[in-house]
Amino acid sequence: MDAFSAVLQGLPMTLLLTVSAFVIGIVGAVPLAVGLSSPNAVLRLVCRLFVDLVRGVPIIVWLFLLKFGIQIGTFKFNPVGAAIVGLGVVSIAYLAEIYRGGLESVPRGQNEAADALGLARSTTFYRVLVPQAFRIVSPSIATYLTGLLKDSSIASTIIVAEMVFQSQSFARQHPTVEGILPYVLVGILYIVLSLPVAYLSRSLDARMRKAVYA
Amino acid sequence: MTLSEIANGKLAPRTGIKLENISKSYGNHVVIDDVSLDVEPGTVTALIGPSGAGKSTFLRCINLLERPDSGTIRVAGHTIEPGKVINAKDLAALRSTVGMVFQSFNLFPHMSALKNISFPQQKVLGRSKEEADERALQLLERVGLKDKANQHPGRCSGGQQQRIAIARALALDPSIMLFDEPTSALDPEVGLEVLAVMRELADDGMTMIVVTHEMQFARDVSDTLVVMADCKIIEQGDPKAIMSDPQEARTRRFLRAVLER
Repeated sequence: MDAFSAVLQGLPMTLLLTVSAFVIGIVGAVPLAVGLSSPNAVLRLVCRLFVDLVRGVPIIVWLFLLKFGIQIGTFKFNPVGAAIVGLGVVSIAYLAEIYRGGLESVPRGQNEAADALGLARSTTFYRVLVPQAFRIVSPSIATYLTGLLKDSSIASTIIVAEMVFQSQSFARQHPTVEGILPYVLVGILYIVLSLPVAYLSRSLDARMRKAVYA
Repeated sequence: MTLSEIANGKLAPRTGIKLENISKSYGNHVVIDDVSLDVEPGTVTALIGPSGAGKSTFLRCINLLERPDSGTIRVAGHTIEPGKVINAKDLAALRSTVGMVFQSFNLFPHMSALKNISFPQQKVLGRSKEEADERALQLLERVGLKDKANQHPGRCSGGQQQRIAIARALALDPSIMLFDEPTSALDPEVGLEVLAVMRELADDGMTMIVVTHEMQFARDVSDTLVVMADCKIIEQGDPKAIMSDPQEARTRRFLRAVLER
């Protein structure tokens, strides 16, 4: 087998990890972001501690803890499960912080106008604040997604057969100059994969700008 | 049809509002010191005074955007005591009786002019989209901006945005309108379009409370002039009488500063 086919074998797993963790993060970060800016001090503190704890520990440590540190009855994480849960929880923490920043940068007058009109809290949140916050944070979310794509390679350390793992096994079997080839190829593949995300983010941003100011 | 007829379908029930002993402070810093104000139905009250007097805060206390520490608000059969727990029904009644226009317009930038006016009607009054859109178009036409219906606020001038904001508030059939320095962020010339709409609204008999630095508007349009300074009302009464013969030294000093500029 040549180096390129070896690396490509890991592509579906890389995509699975990235997309699953991203979806978990995008959805799970919403309640956490609300908690981070809650008027309830206890709730705010709990959410803040969660975010700082998750972000304060390297992803590789979380993956090892999930893979080898958790046994409830007969339940143990398999490598892929541990990687998805680990990357997903980390994504929740990072994206919640991004959301919170976005919500806080919506001018205060928007909230006041909605209050004065008598709109319900949830209507104000979902129809007035979130659409404006989303516009503000969409570039940051895209940046996070490209970062997550690359961070999914950490799953190779707990024996998840994604692209970097496949590169390593190929290299191990070809201890010559050829052994460096899969690493070059995998590097190029990561770049190629992140291009559409950056492109999509830019065109989405431009379209939203046009929608608002046209 | 007049502005408020369009807003209400028929003439609004005229409502006044009574504010009794309103006080508000931030920590040790007093901003409103035991202020009472009785606004008769269908009248225009102009609230003037030096900056820092507490005019805007007082206005924002009326619809509870600021929560007074104590006092009583009586409006449309509801008695609200902001120092105590306010039940949701009273708050909803207050907010639906009282409309507000802000200095910085505060239109929703991600919605077209039409949707800015239509969306709150659907959410707050439960009107159908068709009905709300129709009402919004009528009001836009009345403030001279029908051609802006599908534009987003970012594409409208300040004066146009403020007129859209007035239409948005009117669409919810308020019986009382609060204006918080509605022309202060506008060029003098552009401010005139907004003042013209407000004048028309006053002629229709809308109950209005206007915080303003527009002395001519205060003199010509308002029924009652209220002068605030140092967190209190220091003088109130007929606008022409106060402007020509203020009783308080502080009023005299303020009026001289604004009128002789």
